[in-house]
Amino acid sequence: MERDGHQEGEGQGVIIRNPPLEINPPADTLATSLSLLGNHMFPDQVARDDRATADTQEPGELPPSEVPAQEQHLDAEPVSNQENQLETEETDNAECQNNESTETANGGTKDDAADNDQNDSGEFVVTMLAKAKLEEQGIGVKGRSSPLLEAGTQESPALMSHRDEDVTADSWRQHRKHIFVLSEAGKPIYSRYGSEEALSSTMGVMMALVSFVQSGDNIIRSVYSEKHTVVFLQKGPLVLVCVSSSRQSEEQLRGELLYVYYQIISMLTQASISRIFEHKKNYDLRRLLAGSEKILDGLLNLVDSDPSFLLAAIHCLPLASSLRDSLSQILQKAITTNLVFSILIAKNQLLTIVQEKTVIEDTRLEPADVHLLLNLIGASSAFQAGEIWTPICLPLFNPDCYFYAYISYLDPPECTVCLLLLSTDKEAFYAVADCKRKIEEAMCAQNSLSLIAKAQSYSVSQVGVSDLRHFMYKPFDVPDNYRQLTQFTSPEMEAPYSSEEEKMRLLDLYRYMHSRIHSSSRPLKLIYHVAERETLLAWVTSKFELYTCFSPLVTKACAITAITKLLRWIKKEEDRLFIRYPPKYSTTPNPSKSSRGGKSDQQDSTDNGFLSLL
Amino acid sequence: MPEASKMKKPDVKLVLLGDMNVGKTSLLHRYTDRKFKDTVSTVGGAFFLKQWGPYNISIWDTAGREQFHGLGSMYCRGASAVILTYDVTNWQSLAELEERFLSLTDTASHDCIFAIVGNKVDLTDPKAQLSQDSSGVSEDQTEHEEERTEPQVLSSCPTPPASPASLSGITVHKQVAHEDAMALYGRILRYKGLEEKSSLPAERMCFETSAKTGYNVDALFETLFDLVLPSILRKRNENQQCPTIDLEECRGASSKRARFCC
Repeated sequence: MERDGHQEGEGQGVIIRNPPLEINPPADTLATSLSLLGNHMFPDQVARDDRATADTQEPGELPPSEVPAQEQHLDAEPVSNQENQLETEETDNAECQNNESTETANGGTKDDAADNDQNDSGEFVVTMLAKAKLEEQGIGVKGRSSPLLEAGTQESPALMSHRDEDVTADSWRQHRKHIFVLSEAGKPIYSRYGSEEALSSTMGVMMALVSFVQSGDNIIRSVYSEKHTVVFLQKGPLVLVCVSSSRQSEEQLRGELLYVYYQIISMLTQASISRIFEHKKNYDLRRLLAGSEKILDGLLNLVDSDPSFLLAAIHCLPLASSLRDSLSQILQKAITTNLVFSILIAKNQLLTIVQEKTVIEDTRLEPADVHLLLNLIGASSAFQAGEIWTPICLPLFNPDCYFYAYISYLDPPECTVCLLLLSTDKEAFYAVADCKRKIEEAMCAQNSLSLIAKAQSYSVSQVGVSDLRHFMYKPFDVPDNYRQLTQFTSPEMEAPYSSEEEKMRLLDLYRYMHSRIHSSSRPLKLIYHVAERETLLAWVTSKFELYTCFSPLVTKACAITAITKLLRWIKKEEDRLFIRYPPKYSTTPNPSKSSRGGKSDQQDSTDNGFLSLL
Repeated sequence: MPEASKMKKPDVKLVLLGDMNVGKTSLLHRYTDRKFKDTVSTVGGAFFLKQWGPYNISIWDTAGREQFHGLGSMYCRGASAVILTYDVTNWQSLAELEERFLSLTDTASHDCIFAIVGNKVDLTDPKAQLSQDSSGVSEDQTEHEEERTEPQVLSSCPTPPASPASLSGITVHKQVAHEDAMALYGRILRYKGLEEKSSLPAERMCFETSAKTGYNVDALFETLFDLVLPSILRKRNENQQCPTIDLEECRGASSKRARFCC
């Protein structure tokens, strides 16, 4: 609480109107400190701007309190819990659910405004976070200069659109989901919107909250308000914070923060991050992440728009199994020493993946790692020219070492089919590039590219079930699947979900269903949910997890019949919808360099230049 | 020995080095695609093959970010030419060349040539703004510029570093004068232990370019291609003399790796 010292003078301007309901000392003092910090941070009026924020609501989203009334649970347990109770159950000591408000006496001009019903801590925190940089206005708002460079003129405007945002503007505060990454020393590392420099005191406040709760031997997990959820995640020396108005569950938001963390790890490795902060607590990690913001931005956009992240499963492009097999065979033949994964991607979806035998016996490839790879490819248009060779860490595979990724598009200039080859050998570029030539030749001979170009996702109408508008199906029982990639299948989102807003609305409904199914306090197996404009049914069994969306007029009986038909259709099509038997190859050259050895080989982190920075 | 790790196809290797955001990828884009477009920060390194007459020239466009610093020596291994790029509006970017990037070139070929390139000169120099975007015109210009490479260098020399911006209402201050780059070239020769007299003169190897307008870009790459030709020919001869070179190469490469691990 390094800020406590110099704000005592302002302390009397803070009034805690509604003391916390549960009297527990840590939360109580936390509330006080929140208020103190808040008052310190925004000398101007506070509450007035809140009006504007208060009125924004996700289009079509139901207020949580209305939901239970419209919902019927088909499972055996009686349903008595209200949504609100569920949330309370999840609250632990560290969460400040206390209702409080602040009044800024400062200047004495805005007393009326301060009387507004700013009566919840979360909103308060959000307000505070948003206001915090008032005092820093003018610093770094315009452009971020690389910490390495004296002159801030080098950035290209197109890259910096979000970074240029005025963090004092209302529009900044109304973003649906903010993500912040900071170091334990409170140094800003990343902000989704606005430049980190401009937000450094906001992040200071966040770190103050984290370390204050920590000083009471506790961990801050989340702050709830009516409109916002603030979720904290500490991973090693990094602190990640999400401020969301999306009504996602805390678990989901924490999962998304974890993805952000993994993406950072994938670029730097966990080992080197720990080492850096061990040597120098206040190291500015942006030195190493400079230029990677776009990858994190891209990840966050994907997380919001692609259900793969929610389901933690891979979406592969539907493909005739004969074509998929022939592509796999091409990849299987084009191998070189120390090659570990060969992945073929079209339209940002997986076509096939071939894995090194011994490596995959050790550890399976997690969907999250594949998501990070796909995002890296999607976020870097630089890949469209030339052949890329870059170190990349797969954090779930091994967070401490690098693979070397060869990335090249096979169909320039369209650049839709991308080949990704992962090797454990830093020097293997030319050998791996040779594999690409072989793959290219073989694909040319089999005319694979034009066949791939015809492949596309399917329409829900192909299922032939009326009233079914959309679904997501994640099987657990595809043969060989339990040791392999978790996959899911889903048709295109079609009318009425063709606009971006409607897509997002459907995804939000799915997220809501998902959070109920996976609620940590009271998980459900089956939910039949009548929403305003559609009816949803989510069902999880030992064999699959299924989310379906029907037209609003469907009856419960109809929905059940439809699902039976849908499951039958999926069974019939599963060879096309999923990668059934991920092929393998063996490239471990000699006993001395097995996959295990290969992996530990990568830990020559001195070679990655990080130590030289310290 | 330095050539040992190189594979069959490319005859010669050229590497672009320099701090992030100085315009390495843009320079290469301008030269290969005749276009200037927004690029995103390069990840790792990007490999391109350029046909130059009968020869294959491989070009490594590297990431300037510190994150990828460790890979630099790998990209530079056996390189015949290194293009050290800085941003004329950013003094630090020139300083970084010496501090961070020069040591990476230790793995380059022993007869490696160095070029020092100040990019974004369109921001500071009205002359560089005049170049046209259309490829037809820049073809024309190429020859034109090649002829006047030296005069151009000379003409920018007298520009006092303090007041170039006043020339035609250009807003960006030129932080790096051409002399600074030439001085760095001298220091590089000394670092490499090369005689200044027997090496290529600084006037020839220090360029000021604009990837945005195309100014001097073709001159840069084509000068370098011409200069590395002897290196190509020598390598071709070596290969002919020794048909079993592949095995040698493999062993050379692996022993080299071992050396770098320690």
